[in-house]
Amino acid sequence: MTTSADVPGPVELPVAGSEIDTLLGALDRNRRTFAWKVFGLPAEEMRRTLGPSTVTLAGLAKHVALVEDYYFSLGLGGVMPQPWRDVDFDADPDWDWHSAADDSPEELERLWNAAVGRSRAATAAFLASGSADSPVTWSERSEKPNLRRMLVDMVEEYARHTGHADLVRESIDGLVGEGLPPEEQAS
Amino acid sequence: VTDTPWEPPLSGEEVEHLLGALERLRWTFRWKADGLSSDGLAARLGPSTLTLGGLLKHLATQEDYAATHKLTGSPMPSVWDDNGWDGDNDWEFTSAADDSPELLYALYDGAVARSRAAWAAFLDEGGIGRQVHVADVVGEPVNGRRVLCDLIEEYGRHTGQADLLREAVDGRVGEDPEPGWRPAPGWL
Repeated sequence: MTTSADVPGPVELPVAGSEIDTLLGALDRNRRTFAWKVFGLPAEEMRRTLGPSTVTLAGLAKHVALVEDYYFSLGLGGVMPQPWRDVDFDADPDWDWHSAADDSPEELERLWNAAVGRSRAATAAFLASGSADSPVTWSERSEKPNLRRMLVDMVEEYARHTGHADLVRESIDGLVGEGLPPEEQAS
Repeated sequence: VTDTPWEPPLSGEEVEHLLGALERLRWTFRWKADGLSSDGLAARLGPSTLTLGGLLKHLATQEDYAATHKLTGSPMPSVWDDNGWDGDNDWEFTSAADDSPELLYALYDGAVARSRAAWAAFLDEGGIGRQVHVADVVGEPVNGRRVLCDLIEEYGRHTGQADLLREAVDGRVGEDPEPGWRPAPGWL
């Protein structure tokens, strides 16, 4: 994973930490598990479906990258980054899922990593003067949720989509498991 | 009570949000598993051995385990004494194939009711940052918020698996139940 001086790294999940450290740590653990299940396969395997569902690993990667930017870059920072800003989601509300079939695995992984980096930076900037109690900067709702609600929603969003990835991934190459094996955790 | 009692608050306090997220997942998971015959509960998808019946039984043990062993150190409820539960996760998944739908739903619903009460009592006694019993067992501090976060993650993951299993059984899809949906009388 690329890191630089101004992009905060992942947060370790504490066993007896504060609220914010626990939420951010839980989110980062979910990101790690999600990436382990979704990436590392050639393009045609990332585009495979299982049963009647249209879910693919490529679609999951792009969808979750969109959700990252929507919640953090837009929700906390007030700006929706590219490539999303120019997309006509009215014409295709599931553009993230559909267009993922045209992206290479490298593009998808780069897109997701960039979104996560932007999210961490937006969170750090927001927390410099805010807290879990602070209302987010932008919301589609008339009443803005607080940061706490957003972070808990994100943990749930990641866990649910990782559950989708669990079954799809197992059907592709047999990879199973709850979390990363210890030897891969350092990366 | 509203039509969507599973919706968490928009800007509440920490405990309301963590319990609210857990509660929404309970509703959603129960909806994904609801109203099926033995065949539907035992259906598999691809090479995975997961089933909706197995998930019902597994989450029932996880609810009870967190609410007893982890939170307070009290023994697992008597329902697990004589049904063969051995503490091994695989048991829930394999043994569920021999259980009736009525038994599986009752096991899950009973565990949720007990768990709701146990968490309420724990939080009443000192809040979410309080050390849980299992901290003494593992020899390091563990607070209630970490146990709740782990439970939310576990539920979210299994609900995602349930999404794909249920869609394959009868085409039911969606993020949350329809407003007004109820799993069983008195479940709330």
